Amino acid sequence: MSQEVVRQHLPLFEEQGRSATVPDEVGRNLHYLPDMPKEDPYQAGHRTCAGCGPAIQYRWVLKAAGQNTVVAGPTGCMYVANATYMSTPYTVPWAHTQIASGGSFTSGMAAAYESMIRKGKYKGEYPNILVMAGDGSAADIGIGAISGALYRNHDALFICYDNECYANTGIQTSPTTPYGGSTTFTPPGKVIPEGKKLPPKNLAKMMSEGHPNCYVATTTVGYTIDLMNKTRKGLNHRGAAFLHCYTPCQKGWVYQTPMTVELGRRVVESGLFPVWEYDPEERKYEYFIPPEQRPVVDYLAMQGRFGHLHPEHVALLQVAANRNWEDMGADVPKRLRELEDPEAHKHLKEEEYSLPVNRGIGA
Amino acid sequence: MAQTTIPDKSVEKLTRGEGSADLGVTPGVDRAEKLADLGGTTMRLNGCAASAYAALFADVDVITAYPIRPYTAIMMNLAQFIADGLLDAEYLHADGEHAQISAALGAGSCGARAFTGSSGVGVTYAFEVYSPAAGARVPIQMAIADRTLDPPGDFGSEHTDALCTRDMGWLMGWAATPQEVFDKHLLGYAIGEDPRLLLPQMICQDGYFVSHISGDVELPSVEQVERFLPPYKLPFALDPKKPVSHGPQIHPEQGPPLQLERARSMEIALDIIREKTDEFSDVFGRTYPHFVEEFMLEDAEVVFVIQGGHAVTCQATVKRLRERGIKAGMARLLWFRPFPTEDLQKALSKAKVVGVVETNLGLGGASYGGILSLDITTALYHSPHNRPLVTSFMAGMGGETIPINEFSWMADKMVEAMERGAVEKASHWVGFEE
Repeated sequence: MSQEVVRQHLPLFEEQGRSATVPDEVGRNLHYLPDMPKEDPYQAGHRTCAGCGPAIQYRWVLKAAGQNTVVAGPTGCMYVANATYMSTPYTVPWAHTQIASGGSFTSGMAAAYESMIRKGKYKGEYPNILVMAGDGSAADIGIGAISGALYRNHDALFICYDNECYANTGIQTSPTTPYGGSTTFTPPGKVIPEGKKLPPKNLAKMMSEGHPNCYVATTTVGYTIDLMNKTRKGLNHRGAAFLHCYTPCQKGWVYQTPMTVELGRRVVESGLFPVWEYDPEERKYEYFIPPEQRPVVDYLAMQGRFGHLHPEHVALLQVAANRNWEDMGADVPKRLRELEDPEAHKHLKEEEYSLPVNRGIGA
Repeated sequence: MAQTTIPDKSVEKLTRGEGSADLGVTPGVDRAEKLADLGGTTMRLNGCAASAYAALFADVDVITAYPIRPYTAIMMNLAQFIADGLLDAEYLHADGEHAQISAALGAGSCGARAFTGSSGVGVTYAFEVYSPAAGARVPIQMAIADRTLDPPGDFGSEHTDALCTRDMGWLMGWAATPQEVFDKHLLGYAIGEDPRLLLPQMICQDGYFVSHISGDVELPSVEQVERFLPPYKLPFALDPKKPVSHGPQIHPEQGPPLQLERARSMEIALDIIREKTDEFSDVFGRTYPHFVEEFMLEDAEVVFVIQGGHAVTCQATVKRLRERGIKAGMARLLWFRPFPTEDLQKALSKAKVVGVVETNLGLGGASYGGILSLDITTALYHSPHNRPLVTSFMAGMGGETIPINEFSWMADKMVEAMERGAVEKASHWVGFEE
């Protein structure tokens, strides 16, 4: 009398030679994407800011997931800016959850579909079940609920869209705000010139090391196909998956609006946000080593939130980036080693605004 | 873990994993057959086991559990039912009560019948989720076996845990015996899932006094349950075939009508509770009053108002007081939310003095005593009938028993007030006063 639970399998997109993972001279300015689904379960009409990184991520994730999907969204800017009574941008079922309930509410959704399909109370394939929680929700108040969900191994995808602050409430620090980031809870001043003094939590590694049977990956909005493929891999994985996605916040970080996607690449190229994939069967990490390795200044100088940093603070961030390169098994070029010396830096506000040279628009 | 369960064959066997043989359960055998064997039998169950059997008969789809005494035994029984193949449900080990109730809400929002529960500080740990669940109109059910809130770290029953969530929009009522516990769970689902209402329910029982003391429970047949409780169907479930958005933001000017609608849901609930209670009696042959159990009220002058398991002792006291020539009576509340204002006004229309037995702590409230008397006094103030004097008694704090002599002391206070024509004070601490 038990019914079989039929699960979806989503094919991956062709990536080779098409994504933005190639060096400048090869043609990063090409607007070149493979055929993608026409459907956009995250529709126009929401009220996110111009250049919103999370909105780009929401769109690619739901495009990758498709229409047979159920989505939860804990409180955060992507709750407040998206769904308004009698006007929401979702063409898939979506539910708000309390900020700490992203993991738990989504667990309940997964349990409901497992049970209802098995008992013959719901006719149809097991839907994609996913939650997109901000870093405040996923790395702070709701981390326990997400850990619980990954431990229980529900067949669902748990995503952290990480804009490195509590943006919705007015740019307060979160556990993923980088060292030196200015937020309204970590303002720089005479006594505390660097603003934020603590290094960030390594959220994704906590999830992969702590829940070794789950598929865990990181990515950024700089790599569209990578983001969509990791979404699909997470959904295809039988059991729980966690995806940590770097999503710039124009309002919170203070940068030129069209630079969201560029930041999504520069953070990786400067070694400040390692992009990797954890395979629970092999228990191995596969790191993406970008073809360009840049000084952190190339990344920091694009953003107002770092404008107050002194040479010694920038040097500390370069040390952190070089450690990341080492962790990823990448060689650290000599010029990046030399930048660990504060003498090699100026005050960040004196740096030339590091705009990209001869870059096209979009991915 | 030390179990304080009164020795009770059936439950004991189930919790030790010997239930399979005892109930004739073989994994893989049609669940309906197993339930059919149980139907119509009478078992000796404590309140926790009665709750678990009710969830079994309600064929719940998702159970979310987190341990805290004394309600834990409900979840222990359900875990065993699933292990034995008696119940097909997802059993979710939550990482805390906040997650536990959130997960139940997530499951209920997708159209699964969800069952959860808690006790004491577990109830308050999940506090944030109560209003969103009721406001979402998702009729999940929560079994509560009351436990005193901390401090001082006490297992005993006080109703404060559930009562402090009383204004969150859940239906809430207390059962006094294991049979009533069983019945109230089915009744709760039938009321809450009614498409005209759609509200979550807290089905409460006193910790230990009810949750861990056995009584005879007559189990219904599957057909009876199916007749009374149709399959759960949420009209706006999170289903990709019919997409909806739950819980979007509103603008302040949209607030008043939405809040009014929530307030009205409680008024609608009054009628539906009446209707379903009558229907319950038709289907199962056990009759409950809609809201207020009246005991010797016809000519009563001094009347206890009470809820939960202590009502059993209270009734015994009323009989003894009658022997002493005191015209005593008792009104027991079966539901606290929605508050049965009219039914209580009517039940107390002939009373001269009302004494509210508070087994809860309402610090610094208008009566400087408990929580129940605040609602009860308001109801009586607006009564179209006679308006009796009202006092209240802080008794059974921390889960202490309330013996007959304490109830008698309360009756004496009420008689004094009747003779004086005024109450001494709004609230008495029983055991600390002359």
